Amino acid sequence: MILRSQRERLLDAAVRVGATKGYGAMTLTDLTREASVSRTTFYELFKGKEDCFLAAYDRATEALLRRVTAAFDAGDSWPRRARAGLAALLEALAEDPDMARMALVDFGAAGPTAQRRHRATLQRLTPLFDEGRDYAPGGRSLPANTSRMAIGAVAGLIGDALIEERAGDLPNLLSDVLFATLVPYIGPAAAAREVRETSR
Amino acid sequence: MIEEERLPADIEQLSEPLVEHSQRERMLNAMARSCSTKGYGATTIADVCAGARVSRATFYDLFKDKEDCFHAAMELSLADAMGRIVAVYSPDKPWATMVRDAAAAFLELLAGRPAFARMALVEAPASGERAFELYASGKRVLQSLLERGRDDPVEEIAIPSSAGRAALSAAESLIVGQILAGNTARLPELLPDIVYITTVPYLGREEALRQSREAEKATPRMGG
Repeated sequence: MILRSQRERLLDAAVRVGATKGYGAMTLTDLTREASVSRTTFYELFKGKEDCFLAAYDRATEALLRRVTAAFDAGDSWPRRARAGLAALLEALAEDPDMARMALVDFGAAGPTAQRRHRATLQRLTPLFDEGRDYAPGGRSLPANTSRMAIGAVAGLIGDALIEERAGDLPNLLSDVLFATLVPYIGPAAAAREVRETSR
Repeated sequence: MIEEERLPADIEQLSEPLVEHSQRERMLNAMARSCSTKGYGATTIADVCAGARVSRATFYDLFKDKEDCFHAAMELSLADAMGRIVAVYSPDKPWATMVRDAAAAFLELLAGRPAFARMALVEAPASGERAFELYASGKRVLQSLLERGRDDPVEEIAIPSSAGRAALSAAESLIVGQILAGNTARLPELLPDIVYITTVPYLGREEALRQSREAEKATPRMGG
């Protein structure tokens, strides 16, 4: 039980230290000091800095995926489901900018394993986007990588805002990320219309 | 072809500046290779020296530190990429043709230089402000190329100002995914997908699909 809360404290520390000084400059001492645990305890729980970062990344992205999926599932038409899922994502990220930075920007500095883990996390959103193929007339004939690319567009727009330290503004990006999600499936005219109509 | 550069056989006869030039390129090449295998963070000056077969003293003759070497490698990547884009740029070409030609040239460049591709698109965005700035400036050039699609709208639609940036991120994400999956040599096969995603906000679905099919005819297939 104590070990468990020490683990949680170390994960919190990885998020906070990563956001303030960056993954590259983060040391084990930073983590143990911030979490008030000993080095011995750290090594009982994690193999090293990268392992701790990956665990923090997984904890953050699991929670994000749960929130997004729950909001998405509550919608009716695909554009409304997409809107609800994206709104939940933006709100969750705006509530915790340090976590947002780790989940969408800093993983890149954490080496090849973290980079591959991030790709796999993004792929888990694919079923939500693939619904666009069924929703859109002729959606089955769209390029094979359409959903991957649409996910990349959303992650890119959010990442840009985080790099510019505008995490608080993220909820205002909803129209832009929704348009980017819809446009490859239903085209610009229908996407612009759905962005307007689903806001009501 | 920096990627495969070897020490010239008749090295004794080369004048000094030329040797230095190739040592520099070998170090930039070694930096890119090391970044692509272990990441920029874990790369050391010793890795660069070993990879380039130069002494530590030679490294410090040409670069201030690890970041300086990384920055130089990024400058070289950016210059190469911009050179390819300039080569296909023409104000007389239809916009969609230019997007296709630029994307094809860019994918060929990345496929031919896998270590630099990974360094520039995976490591640089996350490795400090100087490298990020070079990466971002390259992206701005591509973004302004894409945004010219707005000049000739097919219909009067309120396209968000972020549409070009979003499309570029979409293409980038697909490319990075393939690089991380070890499929860098096959990047040119992504051309039809990339033509579609970058033109659809401006041309609409039917025309973007037509452009994508055109691109497919010109796309090399490596099978599998």
